[in-house]
Amino acid sequence: MNLNDILHSLDCSGHFGHVVSTEEAIILYNSLLILQNENHFKEVFFWGKIFGSEKDYYIAYGYEKDILYGKVFYYSLNCIDWGLMPKATKMGLLLTPLCTTKFQGDPSLIIDILIEKEETLVPAKRKQAELRKLKEEDRLAATVSLIFDEAGIIPRMGIFRRPDGMVINNTAFEGLKSIDAREWSSYLHFRVPTRKQNTNLLTSDDYNYATDFLDPIDMDIPEGCWMLRIGQAEDVAILKSLHWPGLVFYHHLRTPKHGFLYFGHGKRCLDVPFMLSPYQM
Amino acid sequence: MIGDYDIQDAEERKISDEIQIPAYESEFMNAKMFLQLASTNTGDNLYDHLCETLNKILSERPLNVIDFFEEYSRRIKEKRYRPQTDHLEDIYVSPSSFDVANLMVPMLKPLSPLEPSTVDPADLEVADMSENNMLELLYYLEHCGLGLPRPEMFYVMLSMRKLVHTEPISTIRFWGKIFGTLKNYLIVECELKNEEYLKKNEAYNEEYFDEAKKQESVNMEALDENRIRKALDEIARMQQFGGEGSKYPRNLPPEPKSQYEEPPEPPPEPSGFGLNKLVYYVNTGIGEPWIQLPDVTPKQIRTSRLVYKSFTGNLDEPVLTYPKFPGNEREYLRAQIARITSGTQISPLGYYTFGGVQLGEGEEEEEEEGQGEEAAEEAKSDFRKNPKYEAPPLKDLLDPSMSFWVHHTPFILPQGRTTWWNPIPLPEGAGEGAEESENEEEKLGEEEEEMDKRRFSVEPETGPPLLTPLSEDAAVEAIPPWSIRCSSSIMDDFALAIVRSNLWPGAYCLSTQGPIFHNVYLGFGLKYMEHNFSPMPLPPVQQEYPIGPEVMEMTDPTGAQEEQWRIDHLPKPMEEFLPMGEELGEGEEEEDEIIEDDD
Repeated sequence: MNLNDILHSLDCSGHFGHVVSTEEAIILYNSLLILQNENHFKEVFFWGKIFGSEKDYYIAYGYEKDILYGKVFYYSLNCIDWGLMPKATKMGLLLTPLCTTKFQGDPSLIIDILIEKEETLVPAKRKQAELRKLKEEDRLAATVSLIFDEAGIIPRMGIFRRPDGMVINNTAFEGLKSIDAREWSSYLHFRVPTRKQNTNLLTSDDYNYATDFLDPIDMDIPEGCWMLRIGQAEDVAILKSLHWPGLVFYHHLRTPKHGFLYFGHGKRCLDVPFMLSPYQM
Repeated sequence: MIGDYDIQDAEERKISDEIQIPAYESEFMNAKMFLQLASTNTGDNLYDHLCETLNKILSERPLNVIDFFEEYSRRIKEKRYRPQTDHLEDIYVSPSSFDVANLMVPMLKPLSPLEPSTVDPADLEVADMSENNMLELLYYLEHCGLGLPRPEMFYVMLSMRKLVHTEPISTIRFWGKIFGTLKNYLIVECELKNEEYLKKNEAYNEEYFDEAKKQESVNMEALDENRIRKALDEIARMQQFGGEGSKYPRNLPPEPKSQYEEPPEPPPEPSGFGLNKLVYYVNTGIGEPWIQLPDVTPKQIRTSRLVYKSFTGNLDEPVLTYPKFPGNEREYLRAQIARITSGTQISPLGYYTFGGVQLGEGEEEEEEEGQGEEAAEEAKSDFRKNPKYEAPPLKDLLDPSMSFWVHHTPFILPQGRTTWWNPIPLPEGAGEGAEESENEEEKLGEEEEEMDKRRFSVEPETGPPLLTPLSEDAAVEAIPPWSIRCSSSIMDDFALAIVRSNLWPGAYCLSTQGPIFHNVYLGFGLKYMEHNFSPMPLPPVQQEYPIGPEVMEMTDPTGAQEEQWRIDHLPKPMEEFLPMGEELGEGEEEEDEIIEDDD
């Protein structure tokens, strides 16, 4: 969520029931501006909140030049003091899905993770169950990066790749029309594209080299893992992920305003196939 | 520097003036002619396009326009291809928000006066709406990091006002919102007037009788089936070769009977008691009507614990799960609401007291604990607002031990009811009224049942009594069931205490430092699971026939074994009818073999 929207979160994420509270919004607005200034960020965003049982993590990110490749994440426990979040380690990314406990709210906490003998998520040959340790800070970094990669969304045409390869905000973006907003292919994953550029380009009829290089969400499995709601007055589109309950993407149609927020426990819901009706899928 | 530049520029201009382009005019004309060449495809030309693009850029003056030049150029082109001659231009297309406005405006009008009736106006009680200022609630919610869009809150308030005038409601409260894949449910919790509950119970009893009758007719059908079965047997026998007297084929074995007996189903709690004490109305958005949800049955509660299904937003959607959920999404929603309500409705200590002697502030805490159990026995649901309530200080409310918060909704027993129902009915009509009709079929087996009862008496299920502090809640799989937050770290004087349920993500309770507290649920309506959901395994396959040599699986005899068997069983007087006997022997051999095995 862009910092400028943070004071009006009721109109955006309010459709999901969770907002940035009045006091938090004012503190965040100011402390993030200071963060932006210290780090010479071009823009700074509030990413969301991960609920811990003792304390909650607030997460923000900014970028200097490249909005897609140059993101830098920060986290805080009190909205004021921001600490640089480490890059998600390979081991952290592998172990995080195995963590079943809740976040505690203490970044230095060491979590024991039991890897079963037959576990396939962590590739290694092991003769017996193995105990690995993971710091909560690393788990947080991995969780944030997983959520961002899987559920971070921008509307189509929202970002723009310059001929020199730099990805920037598309200032010429005028917002989706209400017809386009009903199409899954109008929403793109805000991540380094994982599919071939050709595939992404050719799936849309009116493709554009500068904006259609990202993966659209219409190929996500299972079908129906996103919940799309167009506001009753057709003024806002709300996307929610069933895989990451707590993630809400909003886009005010016909305006360039868009963003996403996460309010949740930081756990992926693996039960999506059970939750959907067979004919919905 | 600027000065230098200007001078240089001027010099250059002088030079360029000196160098005369021979055919300056015609060069220019040539270039312009080229740019104005119309495209063979579209009829457009670059000259006009550039003019238009530059015009737009100069008038709009966007930042870093060079980065988006293509985009600008493309958009201008796009605009050009929109039909210029719009023959339908006289038709006014109403904006999309018009529909909402249309729905909202009637709600804003003052309520139509009630129809004149002969009832004393004092008896025409209309539910108290003074505690349902949704905008005030929104203000508190917003401080806690929760909230719904303002128009929606306002609409809920308006439509609640209308609802209490049209439905027999005595109290009403906003319960929360459950998100579905297609639509969302706004939910209000109501208590109906007493006579309405009586009516509902009467209607229910009648239905119950009807169902008993239906059950009988089903039994009749089952009998019919047996008859059909016999007829089929007869036909099968006739068709077999060998005629009446032969021993082939043997009679078909009797149809296997299901050994499974469904355990007796506890009756639902009557309207106005236990889980059905309150009635819920749902609404899917602005302009939609409030729909009353049906009462919940214990079976629905038990099944909803075993399934994990998201809501769609359509009340008549079938819930396709294993084990089969008895009912549609309407019933599933009601069951989940009952579970959420029972698990997460909490109040600050001392807000409610059990009916009886009013106690002073100090004594109350100790007294309540002791009283709890007795009161639970006598009047389980009988508690009321404490008129002398004073909110505990914020420090206590924020105490992580959670001993200053209590549950004020009854615990749901594993049986699916709040009060325990004895599955083995007592002999002398001690059972409930509804049970008696059910017993008609069971009367035959009553003697046996009594024997059973002596053999094992069922231990009643119990739950924690009402108004138990949250500190008594069991942590499920090492997750603390509640997290507590303060809405403000700076302004202690106005801060609110927020209690967040970790077991039902989305359930919150907030309390001001004054006498106001609210329970609200904003979520997907699903319980938190530490590990993944795994559906209930299918029951083991039942035995069709008692295991014996007929149904045992065994290895087929080999050719050599068969040959051996044939040689062993050759008829003794071989010489008499050798040519025929051989052939017959071949044909019937296999059947013979089976019969031999039977013996």
